[in-house]
Order: sequence, then structure tokens, then C-alpha cells
Amino acid sequence: MKRAVFALMIILSLILTAENSSAAARQWEFDPAHSNVYFTIDHIFSKIRGRFATIEGTVHFDAKNLAESRFAFTIKVNSIDTGVSKRDRHLLSPDFFDSGKYPLITFDSTAITDQGQGRYAVAGKLTIKGRAHDMVLPLILAGIKDHPAVPGKQVIGFNGTLTLDRLAYGIGDGKYYTMGMVGKDADILVTFEALSPASK
Amino acid sequence: MNSISRQPSPRPAPVLGQTLVMLAFALILGGAVAIPFFYETQTLWYKAGMAKTLLRTGQMAGLLALVLLLTQILLALRPRFGERLFGPAVLVRWHKRNGLLIAGAAVMHVLLVVVPEGINNWPIGVKHWPEMIGGSLLLLLLVTVLLSHYRVALGLSYPGWRRWHRPLGYLALSLAPVHVYFVSETFQHPLPFAALLLVLAALLPAIIKKYTAL
Repeated sequence: MKRAVFALMIILSLILTAENSSAAARQWEFDPAHSNVYFTIDHIFSKIRGRFATIEGTVHFDAKNLAESRFAFTIKVNSIDTGVSKRDRHLLSPDFFDSGKYPLITFDSTAITDQGQGRYAVAGKLTIKGRAHDMVLPLILAGIKDHPAVPGKQVIGFNGTLTLDRLAYGIGDGKYYTMGMVGKDADILVTFEALSPASK
Repeated sequence: MNSISRQPSPRPAPVLGQTLVMLAFALILGGAVAIPFFYETQTLWYKAGMAKTLLRTGQMAGLLALVLLLTQILLALRPRFGERLFGPAVLVRWHKRNGLLIAGAAVMHVLLVVVPEGINNWPIGVKHWPEMIGGSLLLLLLVTVLLSHYRVALGLSYPGWRRWHRPLGYLALSLAPVHVYFVSETFQHPLPFAALLLVLAALLPAIIKKYTAL
């Protein structure tokens, strides 16, 4: 009986170990200095460009194991920068992002679909101003290589563009859009690098 | 023959001079608080209703504080024409009361300009340096006014208090134009800028004269 229990424990631990090794997609840590979310939005006739400078997160990515791959990142709302401090402050006010109440924007992927040629549709939850929205973030794998400046590390890069209706995400109540001052569709560029030990 | 002894005639009350000075002060004050109507900042473009009223009132309070601060320096310098017109005691009394008014106007300014942008949305950080200078100025004014108002209660000797009071006052005078010039585009318009420059240019020689004469 004792031998049977021992054998069972061995089998269970082997199964768990095997499952762990198959479950773990490679983990990559964001390189904050080379990760940004840029946006462009209309102002009457001109285009205003800005970015969220602070984006942190973790990527679990293995092109052969998309089921266990995952993208999770957090954007610090008050890192917004459009080059005009007063405009940034207005964007942080309750008129737009209300950063005092909602300091973070988060994205957590739920499913990743390979669309071929390095393109991935990353479905997930975008939580913005306290509300979670389903969205698909289209990312293009720029590549994986040994980091030219960091020995022992590899770098992975992704870029993705999409257009978001800011009003659908509660960024503003539409008054500036109605006035014809600030557009509602924001063109977004998500671009990031993440690092992982080369030995993996 | 009756000889009429010549009595020295009593010095006429300088009512005209006083009136002119008060009129000039009212004119400068009125002109200053009217600036947010004639030179709207872009921040006002994006505000409507109560938020716009609060922000504009806040800007007016800031300009009121600026004029009172400049007046305060004038009262501290106690120019000869001021002493002749009002008497030194009146100037000192106004200087004390004016200090409280400056602090009050500055506090109102900060509260009223912060509320429309969200009470959790303070302009803190390097990119908001003009606002940070304004915040430092507010702190400086409050410290100066409170130390003066409660000097005796705090057990500060007059010479000891005065040693700090003057530099703090002049530091406030130095920070205020930097804050108002860079915090918005209002004072980058030629007329408000010229007015500010003119007032500072008029005060500076008076300050230099006062201290070189000591």
C-alpha cells in the first residue's frame, strides 16, 4: 500500500512538473525606456501627438505555445506627454482621463491568435477609468534577437496600431467633440521591447 | 494800526493727492483683474459654465494678489510722497492689513484654479515648474504673513523677525513675475507684459535707492 501511494505521488509530481514545463511560455520583462504608447488625435484641423511614457508589464510569449502566452501591461496615466504641460494637465482632469481617480490603464490578454506573417491578434481586457472593455490589440512581432547592448539577454519587440473611439472608453463626455475641437478617434501605436535571459 | 500777525496757515489736507493715489491704485487694480477677460488663456477655451467662472475668478484672484504684492513693496519702501499724503502710521497699518489680503487672494487663486482641473490633479513635476514656483510663492507668502501676524505670540524679537521679513518679501517679489509670466500665455501679450515690466522698472530703482541710502 505504502509503495502504491509513493508511486502515485511520484506520478503526480511528474505530471505536475511536465505540465509546468509545457505551460510556461517564455517570460519577458518590459524595457520601460523602449516601450511607449503613442496616440494621435484631431484638434479642429491639426493632429496632436502624445504618448504615455510609463508602461510596465510582463510578456509571456512563445509563438509555438500561444495558449500559454500572455501580455499584461500597465500604463501610468499621469505619464501622458503631449509637449504642452497645460494640455497634459487638462487631459488628466475629469474632462478626460481623471487620473486622480483612475491612475492606471491596464491590459490583460485572454487569448492570442496567430494571423500569420508575425501578426497576432491579442484579445484581452482593457481597463480604463475603472471599467473593463473587451478589445483586440493587433501586434506584429518585430523580432527576437540577442540584445546588442545587454550580454546574456535576448530582446523581443512588438508593434501594433489601432484606432480607438475615446468616447466608447469614457475618455471625455463628448462635449469637445460636439464643439468640433477634439476628435473622438485616436490612432494608437503600441510599441515595446522586452528582455529575457538568453539561456532560456 | 492794527498789525495783523501772520499766522502760519494750517497745511491743507492733501485730499487731492490722496484721491489721485487711490484713483491710480483703483485703476491699476481694475486693469489687472480685467486681464483674464481681455487676454483669455487657452485653458479658459476648454472650460464652460461654473468651471470657466471658477477658473477666471481664480486668475483674477491671482492678479489681485500680484497687484497687492507690488503695492506691499511700495508700502514697505514708504516713499516720501506716501508719507506726506497719508502719514507713516497709515502706511504701516496698510502694510500689515495688505499682507493678510495678499495671503487671502493667493489662497483663493490656488483653490479656484485647481478645482476646475480636478482637486486630485495638482500640477506637480518638472514640466509644471511655473505652477510649482507659484506654489512655492504661496508657501512663502503664508510663512511671511503668519510670522508677522503671530510674531509676538511666537516669541520672535522685532530685529530677528525683521532680518527675515525683508528678504522673504523681496524673494516673493522676485518669484511673482516669473510665475505670472511663464504660467500662462497672458503676460506674453505685449500690453500686459509691458505693464508688468513698467511696474517692476518703477519699483526697482525705489528699492535700490532705499537701501543705498541706508
